Amino acid sequence: MLVFGVLAAIMLVGAIGVVTLRQPVHAALSLVGTLLTLAIAYVQLHAHFLAAIQVIVYAGAIMVLFLFVIMLLNLRGDEPQRRLTWIRPAAWIVGVGAAGGIAWTVVSDPAQAPSAAEIAAVFQGSGVEEVADQLFGRFVLSFQLVGVLLLTGIVAAVGLVQRKATETEARTRPKVAVPMPPSEPVDARAPVSADGGR
Amino acid sequence: MLGPAPTEAWVALSAALFAIGAIGVLTRRSAILVFLSVELMLNAANLALVAFARQWATAGTAVAFSGQTVVFIVLAIAAAEVAVGLGILVSIFRDRLSTDVDTLSEVRL
Repeated sequence: MLVFGVLAAIMLVGAIGVVTLRQPVHAALSLVGTLLTLAIAYVQLHAHFLAAIQVIVYAGAIMVLFLFVIMLLNLRGDEPQRRLTWIRPAAWIVGVGAAGGIAWTVVSDPAQAPSAAEIAAVFQGSGVEEVADQLFGRFVLSFQLVGVLLLTGIVAAVGLVQRKATETEARTRPKVAVPMPPSEPVDARAPVSADGGR
Repeated sequence: MLGPAPTEAWVALSAALFAIGAIGVLTRRSAILVFLSVELMLNAANLALVAFARQWATAGTAVAFSGQTVVFIVLAIAAAEVAVGLGILVSIFRDRLSTDVDTLSEVRL
């Protein structure tokens, strides 16, 4: 119950941060905090497999995609930019500290790895086998449909970008006598690649 | 006060997260922040599913791990949704140099 209280507090603070923070990057990092806390909550609920998937897929891949798009679009708030002068010494301290800790762990006691029986005991009832049974048994149709959905999603995402490329190519044909908007410097290079590239 | 938290507590937390996400969807103006709030709502639903799966596992029923399996499928769907959604977002931004959802009023029924 104490663990639940701490987890709930962190999760709610992170969630309120997502809703209230002005900077998109701050909101996204706040959501990363909430998702990582959610992974710990899954461990508390004896869903170790889902906790690992949550960290790898959600807090890892999906949130990196979000941060990538936020930085690609350069969505800035109106906070004035300032140099973070303390970040360089802090990075050195953290890096050297991590290297020293790893080296100390390796050198100090090579025999501290747990035995296979201990590892098996920890993973007892972690949900991997049960989820696999369900996923390839009762939910096998959903599993297949999700595969189709992911493939469709990838094709759609590529299609969005691809259609954009052909549109700009069509607009920059010399026989079309439409005046170019001067605000798109990408169009200047498009006829070269359209005629010479293919 | 000690001991594992009851299912009610987890579900209440899930409901609070879902409500905060819903408030975010309704109040934020930048499309990417609306999207982040949608992710929050998805995860709130996942938390409720895992909590109920835990309850049924404690009760010893045969359907105990269906909830966890559904969460796994939801995660895969969320990945596809994010890929397509962010693609649409980038495409909108290229078109009008803004992701303000209040100005996106062309697509109507």
